[in-house]
Amino acid sequence: MNRHVLAVLLRPARGQAGVVALPIVAFGVVTALVLTILGGAQTFWTWTDDVAPVYWILVSIALALLIVPLLGLGGAAARLSARRRDERLSTLRLLGVTPSGVTIATVVESVLVAALGAVAGLLVSLAIAPLVGLIPFRGQALGAAAIILPAWQIVAVIGAVLLLAAVSAVIGLRRVVISPLGVRMRTQAAPAHWIRAVVVVLVVAAAFGAVNLFPQLGGLVGLLLLGGVFGVALAVLNLIGPWVLKVSARVQLRRAERPERLLAARIVLDAPKAAWRQVSGIAMASFMAVFAGTGVTLMSDLGDAGGPPEQAQLVADMRTGLVITLVASFLMVAASVGVNQAAGILDQRELNRSLHHLGMPMETVDSARRRAIMSPLLVTALGAAVCAGILICPLLGIAMILAPLSLVTIAAVLAAGILLVWTVTRLTRPLLAREFAA
Amino acid sequence: MNAPVLDARSLTKTFGPTRALAGVDLTVLPGESVAIMGASGSGKTTLLHVLAGITAPDSGQVLFTPPGGGTIEVTGLRETARSRLRRESFGFVFQQGLLIPELTAIENVALALMINGVSRREAVQHAAGWLSSLGLAGFEDRRIGELSGGQAQRVAIARAQVTGAQVVFADEPTGALDSQTSSEVMDALLWSTTGQGRTLVVVTHDTDVAARCTRTVAVRDGRILSAGVSEVSA
Repeated sequence: MNRHVLAVLLRPARGQAGVVALPIVAFGVVTALVLTILGGAQTFWTWTDDVAPVYWILVSIALALLIVPLLGLGGAAARLSARRRDERLSTLRLLGVTPSGVTIATVVESVLVAALGAVAGLLVSLAIAPLVGLIPFRGQALGAAAIILPAWQIVAVIGAVLLLAAVSAVIGLRRVVISPLGVRMRTQAAPAHWIRAVVVVLVVAAAFGAVNLFPQLGGLVGLLLLGGVFGVALAVLNLIGPWVLKVSARVQLRRAERPERLLAARIVLDAPKAAWRQVSGIAMASFMAVFAGTGVTLMSDLGDAGGPPEQAQLVADMRTGLVITLVASFLMVAASVGVNQAAGILDQRELNRSLHHLGMPMETVDSARRRAIMSPLLVTALGAAVCAGILICPLLGIAMILAPLSLVTIAAVLAAGILLVWTVTRLTRPLLAREFAA
Repeated sequence: MNAPVLDARSLTKTFGPTRALAGVDLTVLPGESVAIMGASGSGKTTLLHVLAGITAPDSGQVLFTPPGGGTIEVTGLRETARSRLRRESFGFVFQQGLLIPELTAIENVALALMINGVSRREAVQHAAGWLSSLGLAGFEDRRIGELSGGQAQRVAIARAQVTGAQVVFADEPTGALDSQTSSEVMDALLWSTTGQGRTLVVVTHDTDVAARCTRTVAVRDGRILSAGVSEVSA
């Protein structure tokens, strides 16, 4: 690609500060969360006593759990960055610019934006380190110094964020490169096939069998198996999610009598994968909440029965770790939804203005976009909770008998996550109001 | 004698240092098709927006008289009342159509009625009738991205008319179309408005489009240079 053309493409348009700032903020949140989580986790690897391996395994599971919502947020940030240019790049393709030229322009821009965000995220992570350092494990606060990563690891994390931006930009551009008209005119409907449901049923059945082996295996192998089942289950949720949302939206479309319901159902049907990406983190958190709620209840019950102090401490630390993992998941999902919602509003600026001209009440558009988030969210949160319940039904059953409080824990965690996302959708309302009336 | 459907008096509007309207008077009679022409920045789109109650003028007033009588001072209404007036009594066609891409053609048209409280079944029936009248039978379930520019504009015309709008405001409705398609879209726009006894106000650069209207209003520097002579009896 001609470097002059590249320079023109990289120059932000006048009055588009928000368009550039959004991906920077998104990458900043990703970087800050990764540095903070990894910083906290590294403390556990410095322990070398007899109990340390249990902490290593647990922190590994927690990190594995956070990977999916983190990738979701990272992907949202990267796609947002790439999508800024979709239309212009599609037009360039139509004008004859080569696919490699389009790719270079997008990758360079995405990496530059990600770099700005990553630096901002690093500063934020350093600023909040004293607060995070107050969290206690094994009876004492971790300390700010302990949770700041060594310089080479910070560089590695930033490098990974930049790589994520570049790879996501390339993947996001495949449709532009393959079919410029598809993106330019939005004619391609995102596929979500029923075959996914069949795969899911088979995998859930296999996972159920594996979980039932767990009590016989016990110890380290059992924990690893449980972690593996958890990972597979999360992957399965990702596989089936878009298809479930598509089916659910079709039902809602058939029943829609109000404009906002019709719009919301169509928004989901237009891109079920995108709808899933926005809420998948909550599905993971919901899935995890069932596991965590059950686990904490059972462990507390064991602790109450009387045991060595190390065991009581371990249980308390596991509870702390679970809460941190859940909170981090929710934060990432809320950030993803906020980024996607704000981006959607900015993307549809001209359309929103025209709807205002037509006399459409802003409440209709606002209600439709929030419904397009909240409806899939409820479907996935409840669906994931049911999935997790099936997988650990023997343990869940025991927990229900020994301490029904576990159910309250699960419900509270789900409600908190849903409320958080709902709040974020409300927070983007002023942006819509501004664009609507502009 | 017909009362003007729109009566604008002494309209002024400034955007920062730019004076978009500098004392505009204009009357539009029922059944007229009025073309507003002028160079970019002349104030023609601002005039259209003020007439339609989208933008409030700094001073002056716009009066709208529906067929049943009872003049409404558009400029004296609050934003919510103006929005209601726009969706119930006015229709709009924009240069790019600006249809909702997630919806099908028929849903885009039906939505205009559903917002006014019409049931979905009834709204879809009316929408299908308008799409068919505009030569789009068989295209009802197409997504907007699957339609040509001319087809999308006809969907936008159906959306503007399905509510029974007394006045349709069109902002460069053929600006993105070739001459053949442009002519077809104007056929559809005129048939669906003045052809049904309704009124059309269209902002355009295109002299061919203006020539097909009953009157041309020339605007420059926020003032009306010539208001033309109406072919519709007052």
